[in-house]
Amino acid sequence: MWDQIKQALTQSTARFLARFADLLPGMAALIVTLLFSILLGSILAIIVRRLLGRIHFDQRAARWGFPTLEEGSPMQSPTLLLSQAVAGLIILGGFLIGITAFDAEWTSLFAQSVLGYIPNVLGAALVLLVGTIIARFLARSVLIGAVNLNLQYARLLSVGVKWLVVVLAVAMALEHLRIAPGIVELAFGILFGGIVFALALAVGLGSKDLVTKSLERDTQKAPAETIEEPFRHV
Amino acid sequence: MEAESIPQQVQENIEKVETADLVVGVLAELDEDGLVAIYDAFRTLPGSPRITILRDDQALHLAQTNSETTEKSISPNVVPWPLLRLDTPGLSMVNISAAYQSVFAASETFGARACCVIASRLESETGWARQLARLLLEEDVDLVVPYYARHKFEGLLNSSIIAPLTRCLYGKRIHNPLGPDLGVSRRLFETMLAMERGTRGTGNRVHPLASLAPAAICDNLQVCEMYVGARIYPPTDWTNISSVIAQILSPIFLDMERNAACWQRMRPSVSVPTIGDPVFVSQDMGTVEINRMIESFQLGNRDLQEIWGLVFPPSTLVELRRLSRLPLGQFRMPDDLWVRIVCDFALGHHLRTINRDHLLRSMTPLYLAWVASYALDLETAGPKALEQRLEHLSVAFESGKPYLVSRWRWPDRFNP
Repeated sequence: MWDQIKQALTQSTARFLARFADLLPGMAALIVTLLFSILLGSILAIIVRRLLGRIHFDQRAARWGFPTLEEGSPMQSPTLLLSQAVAGLIILGGFLIGITAFDAEWTSLFAQSVLGYIPNVLGAALVLLVGTIIARFLARSVLIGAVNLNLQYARLLSVGVKWLVVVLAVAMALEHLRIAPGIVELAFGILFGGIVFALALAVGLGSKDLVTKSLERDTQKAPAETIEEPFRHV
Repeated sequence: MEAESIPQQVQENIEKVETADLVVGVLAELDEDGLVAIYDAFRTLPGSPRITILRDDQALHLAQTNSETTEKSISPNVVPWPLLRLDTPGLSMVNISAAYQSVFAASETFGARACCVIASRLESETGWARQLARLLLEEDVDLVVPYYARHKFEGLLNSSIIAPLTRCLYGKRIHNPLGPDLGVSRRLFETMLAMERGTRGTGNRVHPLASLAPAAICDNLQVCEMYVGARIYPPTDWTNISSVIAQILSPIFLDMERNAACWQRMRPSVSVPTIGDPVFVSQDMGTVEINRMIESFQLGNRDLQEIWGLVFPPSTLVELRRLSRLPLGQFRMPDDLWVRIVCDFALGHHLRTINRDHLLRSMTPLYLAWVASYALDLETAGPKALEQRLEHLSVAFESGKPYLVSRWRWPDRFNP
């Protein structure tokens, strides 16, 4: 009996060692791929940091509409954040390529699904970036235009327009990421409609007195009271 | 003008004229009698130079159709020129710029020795047009700019920014550097055409009105002024004033970039020769309403801090806040503050701190604050006080030049 136990243990150990030996090349490939991707990621991070440093990206980020980037960045440097993000992506890519070397179906499927999701992530990031830039541009246009028209609620209009565009961009990004599409659609509809309704109420109620005064002035003004504006600019 | 860009109708008109000594582009709304008066004034020039008058063909046709006189009263040297067609009353600088380039191009094609542009309606007679042509053809002057009789509340953009800035940058005391009634020699209009061809398709396109005076001064050409009487200014469209500011200042600031090497050499300003007799006009302009302008400034100070903060140093922002709290009777914008505002906006435009159109439009409340302060200063003032006020502003601009030069050369030394 002792011989049988010893034989069973020897066989299972042999199977384990054989299985482990099968995995060794895959592990070696994974380690090599990881080391290579770490090296490549570091080099690219240095290049990205130098390029962004040359264009003073840290100072321009706030001006371009990303003030929170500085607050959320390590050492308050968006340049460092971006360069580390680039390095992280390279290393992640290397890891996914490395695990496909194990020659197991589940690792290949896992790597494929992660790699297949990356375009969605990139698309969502691009939509958010473009949406933020457009939101900032439109908000500034509306603010300056409304101030030049002497509208007292200029800032409210500007913030409303900005949030409309941001909400739209976030909803589009979430749709790209395929995260709870039904809930996102409903929430977007409610939020967007709510913002538009609030803006319409603010503009309508806010200008109610102005319209009343304007109409009273038109009915009461005598033609002889008109004062000609003497200023000529060009 | 390149052959492929000339419309067929214009080609036919070119063939009719062949050559000319002086080309006159008429952009102003002159009736047939006015046109004939101008041509008669030119015909009395010694040497009988060949004169060709270019005129928008639609306006010419309308004048011919509505007039009781026959076609014979229009000299054959008045040529319909569709390239001068100006579409709408509130013209953009792009349209005006194209019209001037069109006159220059026609002058080059006809081999003219000089050209002039009549772009505004004046209260005086057309004798000045003859004088202008004589200066170009006989005295060899390269650029003749108008010196309009000053009403204190007219030409405010010119009085507040354009004229004093030109004086400060280029060292010449020109009262109306942007004309628009101008006389240009062959040397100068060929320079402008070359510059326009060189910058075509780039973001820094030449605008003749903004670039003529600086180009003439930087190339050491002869510039003189001519008294032409009072100009009839178009009425103000208060809803469109920010567009006007952006369209006029943008080419001026672009020209500053182009001529940076020229204007950064320090030089005190000198007067240019002035021809003719000055004309004085009544300064009685009636009641002025400035509350709206001050309210606009106060609203801008409250809501545009995030934009102004990208351009101004903290000291300027503090001064603007203090100014916005002043009561109406004490509302005065110091000249040195206004000079720093203009310089900072010019620098912001150069550095593309934010979108350039946004930047210039955000200047509107500040400009209106200056107008309100200026109106309060001069409400009951006469011509002498007006001249002193504007001279004080020009001197302030000249004193502020070191500030502009240092910020232009080392923008990173102070970055708000």
